[in-house]
Amino acid sequence: MSAIKKLFGILWSLMGIGIIPLVIMQAMKEIAAKPSEENWIFWSIVIVVLMPIISFSLITFGVFALKGEYDVLE
Amino acid sequence: MAQNVTNVSQTEEVSSTRRVIAASSVGTLIEWYDFYIFGTLAKIISEQFFPKDNPTAALLATLATFAAGFVIRPFGALFFGRLGDLIGRKYTFLVTLVIMGGSTFAIGLVPGYKTIGFFAPAIVFALRLLQGLALGGEYGGAATYVAEHSPAGQRGFWTSFIQTTATLGLFLALGVILLVRQTLGVETFSDWGWRIPFILSSLLVGVSVFIRMRMSESPMFVKMKKEGKTSANPLAESFKKKDNLKMVLIALLGATAGQGVVWYTGQFYALSFLQNACNVEFVQSNMIISIALLIGTPFFIVFGALSDKIGRKYIMMAGMLIAVLSYKPIYQMMYDSANLKNKIEVVEKTTVETKEAVKGTDTVTTTVTKKTFADGTTFKETKKLTVPLDEAKKAELAAKDKLKPETKKEVTLPQDLYYKMIGYVLIQVIFVTMVYGPIAAFLVEIFPTRIRYTSMSLPYHIGNGVFGGLVPLISTRLVEATRPAPGLPPADPLAGLMYPILIASVSFVIGMLYISNKTNNMDVE
Repeated sequence: MSAIKKLFGILWSLMGIGIIPLVIMQAMKEIAAKPSEENWIFWSIVIVVLMPIISFSLITFGVFALKGEYDVLE
Repeated sequence: MAQNVTNVSQTEEVSSTRRVIAASSVGTLIEWYDFYIFGTLAKIISEQFFPKDNPTAALLATLATFAAGFVIRPFGALFFGRLGDLIGRKYTFLVTLVIMGGSTFAIGLVPGYKTIGFFAPAIVFALRLLQGLALGGEYGGAATYVAEHSPAGQRGFWTSFIQTTATLGLFLALGVILLVRQTLGVETFSDWGWRIPFILSSLLVGVSVFIRMRMSESPMFVKMKKEGKTSANPLAESFKKKDNLKMVLIALLGATAGQGVVWYTGQFYALSFLQNACNVEFVQSNMIISIALLIGTPFFIVFGALSDKIGRKYIMMAGMLIAVLSYKPIYQMMYDSANLKNKIEVVEKTTVETKEAVKGTDTVTTTVTKKTFADGTTFKETKKLTVPLDEAKKAELAAKDKLKPETKKEVTLPQDLYYKMIGYVLIQVIFVTMVYGPIAAFLVEIFPTRIRYTSMSLPYHIGNGVFGGLVPLISTRLVEATRPAPGLPPADPLAGLMYPILIASVSFVIGMLYISNKTNNMDVE
């Protein structure tokens, strides 16, 4: 179980890192296609609020998992 | 004799716990009520406080305000959580109640955009932020306070009463809104009657403050304070120390994020889907949600109590997994039940009425089409075309392609489909009770008393406020992205489910892998 937890730790960290360019590229694409107020508001909320929370928590959580911090919780 | 003394002491303990639960729950319920009336009346608020030139922008502005109300919650969690760990639970969640009640009452009194211009949305926005801040501090305080009064082994059961308040608060908000709307009529309600539910809050808060004033401080906090074990810096201790931060992260990613999206999908997205994708009439759609909530609410206590017996983890995880697997089929069935393309029209019962009236400088033409279908479903479409009397203005609007009618579609379901719809929503409410019923006990048990209020409030409000609170905004957006052209129906009305399904799936995997199913004794540490 510990090995699986550690292995998944890599996945969570990669997800946390990968989400940043993915979201920014999608936002740029959609705003360029339709630079409306709606688009700006929506993507601002996603980039300023949601994305940092998801990225930070997944990366940190992944690192902790990789280091075996959660191995004792059974 | 000794046995009698023990029995009396146990009875007193249960009675005292009940008083604590009642006093805490009533206050929390009122806070949720205050918070929800804003969201439920989002459309009217957008008309009253935001420029009407662009209805979509106005609605989005309200949704953004709605989101701001949610996004600010984690800050309230930090601010009041810290205060609660420093000075005590009782006074902190008394302050949050007063702030919430005051700002809700004030929203009911703010003059509209027509009267004070830009100040109207600015004031409403500020008051909404205050509401979010207060709510951020309330829940953690109430859950901690109740848990610290509860006997070990029954924490899931007792805290589940606090868990019912969020749903009952929504139920109360919907009930009051429907009652006021029915009493005053739709037009008066849209004009000024919508203010009544906000103003009514002051009365409810007054009663709740009176009850809470008479409560005593949490026994665990008092003991800790007496022993000089309170934290000097709860924020630093909660989030800078690795041992605690890792628990905050597991609580967020493995529990509250998934729980938040399941909750908001089952209660809010379901209502939005009924009204916007299925076009179910306002009163009927609200009744469907209200009845499902009322029937489903006792299950919070059932799953809370069950979690005392079999642990918190598997109940929450089962709720997430079943939700992930069944959302698409449930929403497909909801959509099909109201989809007029699946129904046979009774053509001879179709009526079309057109009225024309001059209102100010405009001619308003209203066309109402009523259709009846073989299964008893009725459909009403109201098209309102406003054309300026001034020919130059009319030509200008026509050139900009802005002379389009406002269209309102209303589907009223027959009795059997109405009950089916209640059933579909009820299933989702059951998922909500599975993920939400045990979560307060789960959260209070994984953090030590000295920093419990701060530590449990943050993941709860990020999970619910940010991940959950953004469900309506993100899901609406995902559906809109499948709309081939403005005015045409979306190609995939279920596309909005992708967001809650994705978040709940990740949360399920993390929860299953990393969360322990053991409960602890929650001693003062």
